[in-house]
Amino acid sequence: MIGQDKIFTTIEKVLASSKADQVEAVVTGSNIGLTRFANSFIHQNVALENTRVAFRVAIGNKIGVASCNSFTLTDLKRALRSAYEIAKRQRPNPDFDGLAQPSEYAKLDTHDPRTEKFSPKQRASKLKRVFTKGAKYDYDMAGAFSTDSGEVAVLNSNGVRCYQPYTSATINIIATGDDSSGYAASASGTVDGINVGELAGIAVKKCRKSRNPKDAKPGEYEVILEPAAIGELFEWLDFVAFGSKSYEEKTSFIAGREGEKVMGENVSIFDDALDPEHPGLAFDFEGVPRKRVELVEKGVAKGVVHSLLSAKRTGLESTGHCLPPEESAEGAIPLNIQLAAGDSTLDELIAEVEDGLLVTRFHYINGFLDPRVALMTGMTRDGLLRIKNGKLNGGVRNLRFTDSMLDVFSNVLGITSERKLVAPWWGGVASMCVPAMRIGKFKFTGKTDF
Amino acid sequence: MKDKLLDAIEYLKSKGVDYADIRFVRTESERIQVKNENVDSINRQIDQGFGIRVIADGAWGFAASSTMKPASFRKIANRALQVAKASAMTKKQNVRLAEVEVCQDQFTTAFAVDPFKVRLDKKLKLLLGICEVLRKNSKIHTAEASMGFTRINKIFISTEGSVIEQDILESGSGYAATALADGETQRRSFPTSFGGDYGTGGYEIVENMALLDNAERIREEAIALLTAPPMPSGREDIIINSSQMALQIHESCGHPIELDRVLGTEISLAGGSFLTIDQLGKLQYGSDIVNINADATIPGALGTFGYDDEGVRAQRSPVIQNGKFVGYLTSRETAPVVNQRSNGAMRADGWGAIPLIRMTNINLEPGDVSLDDLMADTNDGYFVETNKSWSIDDKRLNFQFGLEVAWKIENGKKGQMYKNPLYTGMTPEFWNSCDAICDKNHWHVWGIPNCGKGEPMQTAHVAHGTSPARFRKIEVGVSK
Repeated sequence: MIGQDKIFTTIEKVLASSKADQVEAVVTGSNIGLTRFANSFIHQNVALENTRVAFRVAIGNKIGVASCNSFTLTDLKRALRSAYEIAKRQRPNPDFDGLAQPSEYAKLDTHDPRTEKFSPKQRASKLKRVFTKGAKYDYDMAGAFSTDSGEVAVLNSNGVRCYQPYTSATINIIATGDDSSGYAASASGTVDGINVGELAGIAVKKCRKSRNPKDAKPGEYEVILEPAAIGELFEWLDFVAFGSKSYEEKTSFIAGREGEKVMGENVSIFDDALDPEHPGLAFDFEGVPRKRVELVEKGVAKGVVHSLLSAKRTGLESTGHCLPPEESAEGAIPLNIQLAAGDSTLDELIAEVEDGLLVTRFHYINGFLDPRVALMTGMTRDGLLRIKNGKLNGGVRNLRFTDSMLDVFSNVLGITSERKLVAPWWGGVASMCVPAMRIGKFKFTGKTDF
Repeated sequence: MKDKLLDAIEYLKSKGVDYADIRFVRTESERIQVKNENVDSINRQIDQGFGIRVIADGAWGFAASSTMKPASFRKIANRALQVAKASAMTKKQNVRLAEVEVCQDQFTTAFAVDPFKVRLDKKLKLLLGICEVLRKNSKIHTAEASMGFTRINKIFISTEGSVIEQDILESGSGYAATALADGETQRRSFPTSFGGDYGTGGYEIVENMALLDNAERIREEAIALLTAPPMPSGREDIIINSSQMALQIHESCGHPIELDRVLGTEISLAGGSFLTIDQLGKLQYGSDIVNINADATIPGALGTFGYDDEGVRAQRSPVIQNGKFVGYLTSRETAPVVNQRSNGAMRADGWGAIPLIRMTNINLEPGDVSLDDLMADTNDGYFVETNKSWSIDDKRLNFQFGLEVAWKIENGKKGQMYKNPLYTGMTPEFWNSCDAICDKNHWHVWGIPNCGKGEPMQTAHVAHGTSPARFRKIEVGVSK
């Protein structure tokens, strides 16, 4: 990592050379250590270091963006000049009211030195225990184990100076047998927050419970969705419902329905990077402090997250959710979404189901079918289990669901008190904290052969 | 630069590695996005660095850095060695690579107009002009148009003696109109959805797309969809347009023929494949008119290159012959499993990623019927156009696609428009129901610039040549 002092000193020199009215620099550094394993050995093992610097330049309200991944003064100044040249030729943006002004932001503890130094050898040592657990049943173990560190800094010509280092650790494990598979995963800000051995045990147990899968007819079922499955649905809801782009384009089910009941009273969804138990980045990628944002409160649509630009266009205030300048066309997106906990245990939820299915996770969900009702489709995988008379009753061949998430989350019969941190595919400081849920009706529209 | 790379390779040789390669990649890109009357964003990026792949103690290690200081190369070489030694702690057997021709070569994609030298004003005028036409009716709430250009310079050097330089230029564009009324939203895109169409070449690709010529039609179709009825469910004959055929090939043929998936090494995220090795040369994947090949040599296609990212020369190889499954996409490590040499499908998403088996240009060979004649030959069915959603199971069997629009075909004529069409099926059953493929006059290579795979996620630029095709008795309209 470059560190706050060197980043600030170097970038301030570059900003001082700007001829533009306003200028902003966003620095994102990452050191990724990722070990992939399959067939119970390590087959891909990666160490990557990179630092990106994106400059946003404003001449009046004409904006240009250019970036590089070199931290030499020469390359940084070249990128800044490129942004300036774009801004000169740009059309005015009537919604641009200027870059962020300096504000106090929370100091969150998101960096763990032990995770930063965790070595490939240490990851391999932990994975040996995973392979041993699988070998007991002759299961192939596959997955990925990563320990990452990074830093984000935002500086601008108005005096914004933000910096935060972070670490993260994630693992996913799949145990595969002759006719079944089982999944377990975990995410944490520290490598010590991940119990690799316990997770391997869960994946193996799920694989054993899914053996000899039976066919189930497509149709409506009562289901229990485990946290990984809920997290995958929320990856899509982030984009099609809770981000500013879908809201402004009126394809989000929140748009025009604020104050209306859209889900069940027992469903509350919010974004909170400042939660001390699950901290994210304290400021966004234009230096605005993040706020906790209620998205759906007791089933009622409340709003979405915003950047300075989307807030101006919609007559609202920025919530501190701007993406990096290169991704600004995607609008603002919640990166630390949470679903409020209930008061049940997973065993209690299962015990309440007379005839239904337990879904461990989904595969290849798509949420573009009809975003106004959050219609999605996807497949189950790695542990679809029948529930009969309150007990798990063997594996089921995987099914395709096609359903409106507004209907699904209007039909929540129970929520666990325990929530799990799920790492979305885009990684970094993003995370989702979600419980398991019991859903009264969930529509399956197709099936597959395994 | 080449001296630094050669020095790192010599250093690794001195350390006694089994094998090593180093890739320097510099990517320059420009992306312009316009929404309604405003320019949403103009981004220019330069990204460069190098990655070192090592086999030591019989196992793989990879390390990469964007720091180009001279000392960085040996530092990263040592890190790759350490990573390989950690991998070796769990190895079951030593990694073995298929033989490869040692090459000293250069490859450049052809282009007529350098897009980075085209004035920004000219690009903005085109994109804003498209949005102006789309927004001429107030029911179009959002008009979006974009174009993107990427220039990739790569140098590959291996301990076996290969030294390969490549310059690849990519260009493309597209737009979409979203209509809104009474709580209903519908979208039409051109020339296809999710960013448009891309190829290797220069600004001439954008100029040849007839973008403005189609804007009025796209606008009117988006508006008409607002009041169109939903596609009824049932088992129907469908003719699938060429751009959706590209995605059908991508999901149900391109991914399952990746041999790394078949061997289980992508199972944790992307999944496996139903095309297991015992099916090779035996499975009747499709009807006997279905012929699919992998061809990384098609001029102008987005999946075209000179050499893959482990130095294997680009080539054409059969995948499906007369409906029978006959070939995988392979790497130097996986090809020996099927007693072959690599067919050159290993590509990495830039300097910081390891190469994976990726699609090149996976193409359905054209048939012998015109689209008009195929329509005329269809008594009762639907013509479906332009992808809206996609989903397939983790062995690539059960799929479901959503489209932007469907048109009823009655007595050989295109009639009523329907909204929210869907079709679903099982891969071999679906391809065996293919009874007609349109001729070469309708054949187009569609560039897909966003194919995801691997952890950390890598994005590959791939393509699919195809014509429209007809499939019999397919399950359609199966949503809520």
